[in-house]
Amino acid sequence: MTPELKTADRGRRSFLGKMTLAFFLIALPSQAWIYFRSLFPNVLYEPPKKFKVGMPQEFSEGVNFIDSQGVFIIREGQQFACVSARCTHLGCTVKHASLDHEQTVRSGGKELTVTYEFRCPCHGSKFRQNGAAYSGPAPSGLPWHKLEVAPEDGQLVVDKSQTVRSDVKLLV
Amino acid sequence: MQLIRSLINQISWPWRPESNREAGDAVVKSFLHHWFPHRVSLRSMSWGYSFWLGTITAALFFILCVTGVILMFFYVPSVERAYWSIKDIEYVISFGALLRSLHRITAHLMVALVFLHMFRVFFTNAYKNGSHPASGRRFNWVLGVVLLVVTLLLSFTGYLLPWDQLAYWAITVGTSIASAVPVVGESTREFILGGTIIGQNTLIRFYVLHVFFLPLVAALAMIWHFWRIRKDGGLAVIERVKEETPPVEKNDITGAGSKSYALMGVASGTSVHIVERQKLTTENSVSSSPDMVRRIIIVLFLTVMVSTVLSIITHAPLEGLANPSVTPNPAKAPWYFLGLQELVGYSAFVGGVLIPGLVVLGLMLIPWVDRSGGKIGHWPTEKSEKKWLALGGLAGLALTCLAVFIGVNFPSRELLGNIFEHQFWFDLLNPASGLQIAFILWFFLVRKLTRSTRTASLSLFTAFVVAFIVLTIIGTWLRGPNWDFFWPWQIIPVTPVIY
Repeated sequence: MTPELKTADRGRRSFLGKMTLAFFLIALPSQAWIYFRSLFPNVLYEPPKKFKVGMPQEFSEGVNFIDSQGVFIIREGQQFACVSARCTHLGCTVKHASLDHEQTVRSGGKELTVTYEFRCPCHGSKFRQNGAAYSGPAPSGLPWHKLEVAPEDGQLVVDKSQTVRSDVKLLV
Repeated sequence: MQLIRSLINQISWPWRPESNREAGDAVVKSFLHHWFPHRVSLRSMSWGYSFWLGTITAALFFILCVTGVILMFFYVPSVERAYWSIKDIEYVISFGALLRSLHRITAHLMVALVFLHMFRVFFTNAYKNGSHPASGRRFNWVLGVVLLVVTLLLSFTGYLLPWDQLAYWAITVGTSIASAVPVVGESTREFILGGTIIGQNTLIRFYVLHVFFLPLVAALAMIWHFWRIRKDGGLAVIERVKEETPPVEKNDITGAGSKSYALMGVASGTSVHIVERQKLTTENSVSSSPDMVRRIIIVLFLTVMVSTVLSIITHAPLEGLANPSVTPNPAKAPWYFLGLQELVGYSAFVGGVLIPGLVVLGLMLIPWVDRSGGKIGHWPTEKSEKKWLALGGLAGLALTCLAVFIGVNFPSRELLGNIFEHQFWFDLLNPASGLQIAFILWFFLVRKLTRSTRTASLSLFTAFVVAFIVLTIIGTWLRGPNWDFFWPWQIIPVTPVIY
C-alpha cells in the first residue's frame, strides 16, 4: 500500500514532473535542430557567380560558349547579351544549333528572324534564339544574365546571380 | 579443440530434436534454432512458390556489403581524387576491376530482385493477414516498400561516387527533379547538394549516405522484415497448409505451452495460451535445420556464383572525368530510372514527383485498399482473375504506347504553346498525367465490372508492371541524342563519349 503523500509533497512531485516534461520538449527539438541546421552550409566553396569573361572585341559575331561557366555570350555588332546554358527543365547544359535556313517565328507576341536555336540533350527541350522555350518539357525560357563592363580593364563581367529581361543588351 | 567444438555446437544445430519439447530446449543451446522455427512447411520451402526471391535479395545485399567494404579501403571521397581512385581500382589493384564489377552487377541485380520479390508477394496475395490474430503481413508489406525505396536510394547515391561524366550528369538530372516540387523544391535540392552545384559537399553527402546511413537503415528494416515473417507464422502459403491439414486433437500437442515455444514456432499464439493448433506434421513439413539451412546455403552460393560470372562477362563502365560544361548526348539515368526519365520528359513535376510519390503511396496502401480475404498464398487460379490479369497487361501496354505516341508526335508545348502561358497547363495536359489518370480509371472500371477489389488490384498492378517495363525499354533503346525517338531499325547517331 502506498503511504499517503502530504499536499506539499504532491505539489513538489507534480512540479518536478512538469519540469522534466518541459525539459524534454525543449531539449529534443533543440538537439534535432542542431543536427539539421549543421547540414546547411554557411560558406560555399563554389566558383563565384560574378566573373570576367574577356574583352568585348575577342568575341566573334553570334554565339560564343563559355564552357567553364555554362553561359553563352551573344554578340550582334556592338551589342552583347549573356544567355544561361543551364536548361530550365533539369539542369543539363544546352547546345547551340544552327538552323539550315533563316526562319521567321512568333515569340512573345513579336516577329523574330532566327538563324540558330538551343537544344537540350537530356529531354529534348528547344529554345529560340532569344532563350524562349518553345518545345519539350522546359517550364520556362533560358534566363538572361546581367552583363557589365569592368571599369578597371574593360572586360565583360557576367553576374549569374542576376537575371535581366530578355531584350536588354549591352552596347559597347 | 574442446573450446572450438563447443563454439560450433552453440552456433550450429548438431542434432535433430525428437520432440517439440527437446526443440524448445535447443533455443538456449543453438544459435540457428534461435533464428529459425523448429519446423518449416514443405510449401514454404518449395522452389516454385516463392522462387526464393527474398533470400536471393538478402544474399545480394550481403555480397554488396562485403565488396563495398573492400572498395572503401581504396576509394577517396574527394572531387580531386575520387575519379583517380576508381582508376586505381580498375587498373592497379589486384582484382580491383572484378570487385568493382561485382559490386555494380549485384547492385543492379538487387534492384531487379527487389522488384521481382514484390511482384511475387503481390501476385500470390501474400500481403494479407491470415487466420492468426497476431499476424501483421500488411505491415510487413509496408516494410517491404520501404526497403524497395531504400534500395533505389542506395543505388542512386552509389551512382555519383565514380565522379565521371556518367555519374555527374545522371545525378544532375536526378537531383534537379527535386526542384520541380513547388515552393520548397529549390531549397530541397540545395540541401541534397549541400550547395548550388554538384561539388565536394554533394560527393561527401552521397558517400556517407551510401556507405553508412542507408545500409544501416536497410539492415535494420531487413531484420524487422525477417522477424515479422516469424511472427506471422511463416510465409503466407502457411494459410494453405492450415486449410489442408485436418484439425489436431489438443492433447496431441506435446509441451507447447509457453511464450518462448510460441516465438520459436513450435506453437503459435499471442500469449502463454495456445490460440491455434499445431498444423505442421511430419508429412507436410521438415526440420528447418538442416533442411532449410541447406537450401539457404545453396541459394547464397548460387547467387554468389551467378553474380561472379556476370561480373566477369560484363564490365563496369568508367567515362571521362566529370565535366560540368559538357553534357553527354543523350544523358541517361540508370536503367531502373529510365522509365521515370521518359515521363520526366513530358513534365518534371508529374513524372519526377507526382507519379513516383503516388506509386510509393499506392503500393504502401494496397493492403488497406484490397481488404478482401481471398485465397492467401495462391498464385492467381480463378478464371476471372487470370482474364483480368491478362487484360490489365494489355491495357498497360496499349495505354503506355499510346501515351508515348502522343508524347512523340504531338508535343504539348508546340501545340498548346500559343493558347496557354502558365506551366500549370503543361503539367496538367501531358501524356504522363493522362497515363496516370487512365490507370486510376482502369482500376475503378475493373472493380465495377467484376465487383472484386482483388481482381481490380491485380489488373492495375499488372498494368503498372507492364508500363514500367515498356517505359524502361523505350528509355533504354529507343531514345537517342536530344531524347529523340528512334525505332529499333533506325540507326541512332552515335555522339562521341569521352573516356
